[in-house]
Amino acid sequence: MDPVIGLIVAVSLLVGLCAGVVMHRADFCVTAAFRDVFLFRDFFLLRQMLLLVVVSMALFEFGRLGGLIEQQPFPLLGAPTLASLVGGFVFGIGMVLAGGCVVGSLYKLGAGSITGGVALVGMIAGSAAYAEIHPQWSAFARATTLVPDTITVPQWLGVAPGLLLLPLAALGALWLAREFRAGRMVRPAFARGHLAPWRAAVALALLGFVSYVLVGMPMGITTSYAKAGAWLESLVAPAHVAGLAYFELQPLHYTPPFADHSIQGGPGLGLDAIAVVQFPLILGIVAGAFASARWLGEGRPNWRLPPRQLVSAALGGLLLGLAARLAPSCNVWHLWGGMPILAMQSLLFTAGLVPGAWLGAHLLTRFVIR
Amino acid sequence: MQSVDLDIRGQICPSCLLLALKELNRRNQEIRAGDAEIVITTDDRQATSTIPIAAEHMGYAVDVHAVDGVYRIRIRGQR
Repeated sequence: MDPVIGLIVAVSLLVGLCAGVVMHRADFCVTAAFRDVFLFRDFFLLRQMLLLVVVSMALFEFGRLGGLIEQQPFPLLGAPTLASLVGGFVFGIGMVLAGGCVVGSLYKLGAGSITGGVALVGMIAGSAAYAEIHPQWSAFARATTLVPDTITVPQWLGVAPGLLLLPLAALGALWLAREFRAGRMVRPAFARGHLAPWRAAVALALLGFVSYVLVGMPMGITTSYAKAGAWLESLVAPAHVAGLAYFELQPLHYTPPFADHSIQGGPGLGLDAIAVVQFPLILGIVAGAFASARWLGEGRPNWRLPPRQLVSAALGGLLLGLAARLAPSCNVWHLWGGMPILAMQSLLFTAGLVPGAWLGAHLLTRFVIR
Repeated sequence: MQSVDLDIRGQICPSCLLLALKELNRRNQEIRAGDAEIVITTDDRQATSTIPIAAEHMGYAVDVHAVDGVYRIRIRGQR
């Protein structure tokens, strides 16, 4: 195996394993962070997300200034379009209905959640379904591009990234320090082997940084859901899959750290760069959470669930898969990766995610949990 | 004393907190009078934090035990 590919696979797998353990121990759920603001006026987890963003912002920028990070912005980010806003909105609804986002559902699945598994199936189906509307949607995305050929806010303003990112990270750190002093960053927990969410936030920021330095980009997994969808669909309708333009795309084309040649990949059937970067991460998160739960003697699946919750998980998963292609990409990619470098796509995605989570919370309490 | 058992294992988040709050509101008088208690069985690790905080905030007494790979959260009146 090409040593560069070997490094990417090993790092992604290891980062995934660690992230799976951390997320399970802290129950570090991005969906809950947004949803609980609307359901319970509870901002506790959202503060932890802000901590993750602030730490990542500082790490990514110091890493860039120190020469550890060479490609900023990282690959797969694009110019801001309304597609990201709409994608974020649909994603927000989907994650609340599914009870977890694309990453959250993975660690919950690893820890024995049947609804997490149902949501995952929905996500794969939703990602594959996107291929049917890709020509129209990409035309919409192009037509609604807000700032062509520009990815981040510092690029748009024409300033050095550090001039914006470091003061912003410092401001965030000051505010968070105040929250820590006021006791609003910790709360009692009784789960065995509990990891305080603030520690998880710092650990996940460090894992994102490791991924950025060694793989060339922060954690992201959703293109491979489309790839998995293409594989499954090609088992029953190979000619149809072969005719879909979306599966021909190769949006990932970059030179990884320590490499002297570029690699590329996309949502299609090939065992390409997307598969190399993302599949080990997915496997790692599920395996890490599984091992963590088993270690504590937890994680036995419960199959007897209210049918409407299974329907909600499937429907939420479908919306998540679809939205992750509309946006493109997921909340973890945008919040933990794009937001810390002020990628405009990520800001738009988050602006859509908030009202989406609000609507999702209403749907959940009206139709699902009764 | 009547024990109201809620088995919320495996359910979509935040079923645990929502159903606990619903039951608390429904049986408010009985629980406060010491005639009933709620015992929740859950595998939701976050609920072991959010339910005690919410219930204690409402003036109930709460204890959490890890039993056989799941959590039992008992909510009762203060007396």
